[in-house]
Amino acid sequence: MSYPMTRQITSTLAGALVVLFALVFSPRAQAVTVAELLDKIDANMTYDTRESYLTMTVTKADRVKVYKMHSYGRGQNEAAMEYLEPARDKGTKMLKNADELWMWLPSVEKTQRISGHMLRQGMMGSDMSYEDMMDAAKWRTSYSGVVAGEETMDGRACWKVQLTANSPDVSYPKRTIWVDKTAFIPVRQQLFALSGTLLKSWTMTDIRSVAGRQFPFKMTVTDEVQTGSKTEIQFDKVTFAVPLQAEVFSTRWLER
Amino acid sequence: MRLLVSLALRNARRNVRRSLLTAVTILLGVALLTCGMAWTRGAFGGILDKGANLMGPVRIVKAEFAKKEQLMPLADNIADVAPLLTLARATPGVTGAWPRIQMPVTMTVGEDIGEHFALVQGAPNEWFDRALDLSHHLVEGRMLQSDDEVVMGMTAASDLGAKLGDDLILLGQTQDGSISPIKVKVVGLSDLGSGAQNRFVYVPLAKMQWMADIPDGATEILVYGTTREDALPISAALTQALAADPAYAALVVNRWDERPPFSAMSGLVGALQSIAAGVIVFITALGVLNTMLMSVLERTAEIGVMRAMGMRRGSTVLLFVMEAMGIAAVGGAIGALVGSVIAYYWLELHGINLGNAVNKMPPGFAIDAVIHGDWEPYMLVQAFALGLVMAVVGGALPAFRAAQIEPVEAMRSRR
Repeated sequence: MSYPMTRQITSTLAGALVVLFALVFSPRAQAVTVAELLDKIDANMTYDTRESYLTMTVTKADRVKVYKMHSYGRGQNEAAMEYLEPARDKGTKMLKNADELWMWLPSVEKTQRISGHMLRQGMMGSDMSYEDMMDAAKWRTSYSGVVAGEETMDGRACWKVQLTANSPDVSYPKRTIWVDKTAFIPVRQQLFALSGTLLKSWTMTDIRSVAGRQFPFKMTVTDEVQTGSKTEIQFDKVTFAVPLQAEVFSTRWLER
Repeated sequence: MRLLVSLALRNARRNVRRSLLTAVTILLGVALLTCGMAWTRGAFGGILDKGANLMGPVRIVKAEFAKKEQLMPLADNIADVAPLLTLARATPGVTGAWPRIQMPVTMTVGEDIGEHFALVQGAPNEWFDRALDLSHHLVEGRMLQSDDEVVMGMTAASDLGAKLGDDLILLGQTQDGSISPIKVKVVGLSDLGSGAQNRFVYVPLAKMQWMADIPDGATEILVYGTTREDALPISAALTQALAADPAYAALVVNRWDERPPFSAMSGLVGALQSIAAGVIVFITALGVLNTMLMSVLERTAEIGVMRAMGMRRGSTVLLFVMEAMGIAAVGGAIGALVGSVIAYYWLELHGINLGNAVNKMPPGFAIDAVIHGDWEPYMLVQAFALGLVMAVVGGALPAFRAAQIEPVEAMRSRR
């Protein structure tokens, strides 16, 4: 083999290597699909069973109201919650079973079904609706969308993703979320109505590792329509994969 | 002038049948006018009195509450009403001041939480009596004696199927928006004669304060004088008093007639009354015009002779107008008397029953099922005076026409 030919083969190989390197390590190769991102969010945020104690602080203008709650969840369809504080709401319980939501009102010893538009009203006057609070549906099932870019949000490298609901019965037809690239938590969300009106902003912070998953211990929801209103949820204790008695998700538990 | 008066009266007697027709036209117009005035005064006056009583002739609220009143925003409440009540009660002309909270609720009797909606008014018993005279409108049961009792309007009770002694669950909201239920016993059923008022549930203030989670407050402070006309000086005095204290900067003082629906109504009532009176005067004047015109045509030659003898145009006009006024004086006097008798004995004492139509009125726009007229002696004089106006309006055109007649042409037309 002559020297020029060897040189030509060498340069060709080098070129191919450069192209291969570029293909392997280029940003395009690093890009994730929305489906992958939503799967990873679901792996963190959804569960088989979960028990938690949380504090909800609702701030409206100059008035602050603090609620303490004990909540249970099983799969995507069952959730239960009991109010521990303040005294006037102590013993109030909520039970979600598929599309039905029931509320036990201890002061009158009655069960109230929350239905229709009431599901989208603020729970206990907060900026989180009953649906927001009790919803455990998988993101992957509910939404599809596109990765709109990469941005830094509160010092965290994030994927910016624009989501559109797969069915009309989802609370927020459009969402823009910023997904932490390492924790795979939507650290910031903007929730839109179908018209494109921004309804709420939702941040997830204080991300901790719990039972092999990442979980945000603090959530802040701001009503973008009603100014001066903010709801903070602080998880005081979260346990996943806990054995829960079947009774928890029954009306018997509600009225006990 | 005496000659003109004497001529006018003689002319009025010349054709008795026509003069009688004119007098009857004016009689009917004046009688109708008297009844109309008594009826509108009674109907609108009743609505305004009731509305002012219900809404509070004067009220103190947060400015934000006033802006969003239709939504009944509990969050925009007056957290501590005690100092404001003291201030209001010390204001000259004030006969009473009470706090009130209103809230929409769902009502339940029995097992299942139902879909029956009502408006709840929470206030002290004294307010229920001062504003609604509730204790005199109970058809069953008694007034509130403890915080766990309610009086229900008849319509609200019958819609729900509630009866005396039932446990009633009212599902409302706290000022923070939390679902807030109360359980109370139905101790009274009321019939306030108004569809809107009969859909209310009346709850003790303390219970309402608990439900709304406004322990020492209310959304409104309602201030009363002796009559609704006292609202103006009271509101001026209260506005001045509140302005002097920066702690009350967020509060406003509203008069009943500044608030909907009455803010739009007061001008409307006057306009409607004027239009109605104008139409009656116009129609009656047409009748007068018709008969007086016939009179002028009949007397063309006679007018010509009088003009030829030196009667001026002005005197000719005056002659015909005085003739019309003479007839109107008789018809108007009888009409005002007949109208006053009908207005007083039928409209005022007996009233007109509107039946179920009033049930469709919106809350806050309280109308009694039986609407009574309100006749006042001044209406007799006013209607009589308007009768004379009818005569002047109706008689003027024929009179001017008579004045335009040239004597020569008029006398020639006799042939």
